Amino acid sequence: MDLDGFINPEPVVQPENQPFWDATKEDRFLVKWCNVCERAHWYPRARCPFCFSDDTAFREASGEGTIYAFAPMRRTAAPYILAYVTLAEGPTMMTNIVNARPEELTTGQPVRVAFVPTSGEYKVPVFTPT
Amino acid sequence: MQAADEERKGLSKVASVVGVGHTDWHTDYRAQRAGEKATLDSVGLGALAFVRALEDSGLKRDDIDGLIVGPTTPYERMGEVLGLDVRWGGQADAMLAVIQACMAIKSGLAEVVALVYGNAQRSQKVNYGGTNAAGGASFLSYVYHAPWGFTSQGALYALMFRRYMEETGLKPEELGQVAVAQRAAASLNPEAVMQKPITIEDYLTSAFVCEPLHLFDYCLINDGGVALIICEAERARSLRPDPVVIHGVGRYDLNSGATSLEPRLTEYYLPAQQKVARQVFDMAGVGPQDISSAQIYDSFSCHIPLALEGYGYCPPGGAGKFLAEGQHALGGTLPVNTSGGHLSESYMQGWGHQIEAVRQVRGTCGKRQVPDCNFVHYSSDVAGKAVSIIYGR
Repeated sequence: MDLDGFINPEPVVQPENQPFWDATKEDRFLVKWCNVCERAHWYPRARCPFCFSDDTAFREASGEGTIYAFAPMRRTAAPYILAYVTLAEGPTMMTNIVNARPEELTTGQPVRVAFVPTSGEYKVPVFTPT
Repeated sequence: MQAADEERKGLSKVASVVGVGHTDWHTDYRAQRAGEKATLDSVGLGALAFVRALEDSGLKRDDIDGLIVGPTTPYERMGEVLGLDVRWGGQADAMLAVIQACMAIKSGLAEVVALVYGNAQRSQKVNYGGTNAAGGASFLSYVYHAPWGFTSQGALYALMFRRYMEETGLKPEELGQVAVAQRAAASLNPEAVMQKPITIEDYLTSAFVCEPLHLFDYCLINDGGVALIICEAERARSLRPDPVVIHGVGRYDLNSGATSLEPRLTEYYLPAQQKVARQVFDMAGVGPQDISSAQIYDSFSCHIPLALEGYGYCPPGGAGKFLAEGQHALGGTLPVNTSGGHLSESYMQGWGHQIEAVRQVRGTCGKRQVPDCNFVHYSSDVAGKAVSIIYGR
């Protein structure tokens, strides 16, 4: 499985996630927090999904996480590894695992954020085994 | 007291299915594979299915006073082509269409409702994957999926089922029993698109699409149409000796986290299905032990083990054993998707499952007939919504 050909599609940037995507250009990984209930959520949005407050803000994330589940996409011109990663801050997000072979991966494995270019101006956060 | 009992029964026995029809999906698929051009679009496919359902019901077109049209075709255009002026109408997917028809009949807004679906998805080259998969940016959170190449529902179910298999120990050869059993059922169904039996070895050696899901875990893509005529229960009994009664319905939506796919990825819909199980079995006055056959929405094979657990046909984590024992196959304790389902009969987005349920209760399924088929349970779990319908005599 040659994992080198995949180019991440450019994200669609919208008002509530503009700061998140802007930060990717500087390899910074932001997660949205609620200032009232002090919980992080994914995906970033204006209103906290837990306590419904609109007092939310982006904060720099640790970039640490663990693999919740992974699935190698094989029947495609440029294969890649999809994954759901649980961040140290709590939320679980869709992402890719890079710099690893599928057979080397396990659920629960620690991973760390990295940034890769997309087909457009922004980068996307992906994860690599630590 | 009697009024309270009536209320508690909700939509039970309010309406019955008196007519079903579908297009020639086996013939149409073979013709298209042989290079012939399709002759009907989605609306035309729906109209053909409607004509057949109406004929099956013995009713006349003028008897129809309600219309529900499935997604893919606008309500207005389908209504125009069918020539149906009605006093009540709507647009809904298969399972919600049946529930809405019952609600309209119960409230007196309609008495005879036609439910019509057509989808020329193969000839029109409908793409369920790619950058616009699953609604694209119109489902905001998919903004947070597409940049990582999450461009198909198959990828979602692959991720989900990898986790499920690790948590429960379900083996690939146990999941494979779903595709093998449904193909065996389809081999007894002259209408099925795919009728050639497969073995577990065929399954295990077939290509992965998104691992751990193989090609045979994915639904077909084919053209077709389906229609049902649903009638107020008393009138239905005067129309034909074997109306198929809707005994119970249930629904629960896990909207919190729905577009981030959390209900599917982390809980396998289990909390929603358990709530729906209480609703639908209570309304119908039956339990899992009374069900003769289940029809389960199977865009992917892995829906089956999850529904078996969600509705109490086996304990959570027990689906692997259930499948290994072949309890879901024809001749088993709970034959599932007896037509071949989406994997082998026809991908009609849940509509085909409704008419298979009706035919099993009528006892007209020929070689794939489930003996003494008193109750059939339909279940779907799509986009965070869990829905059930129980059909019976």
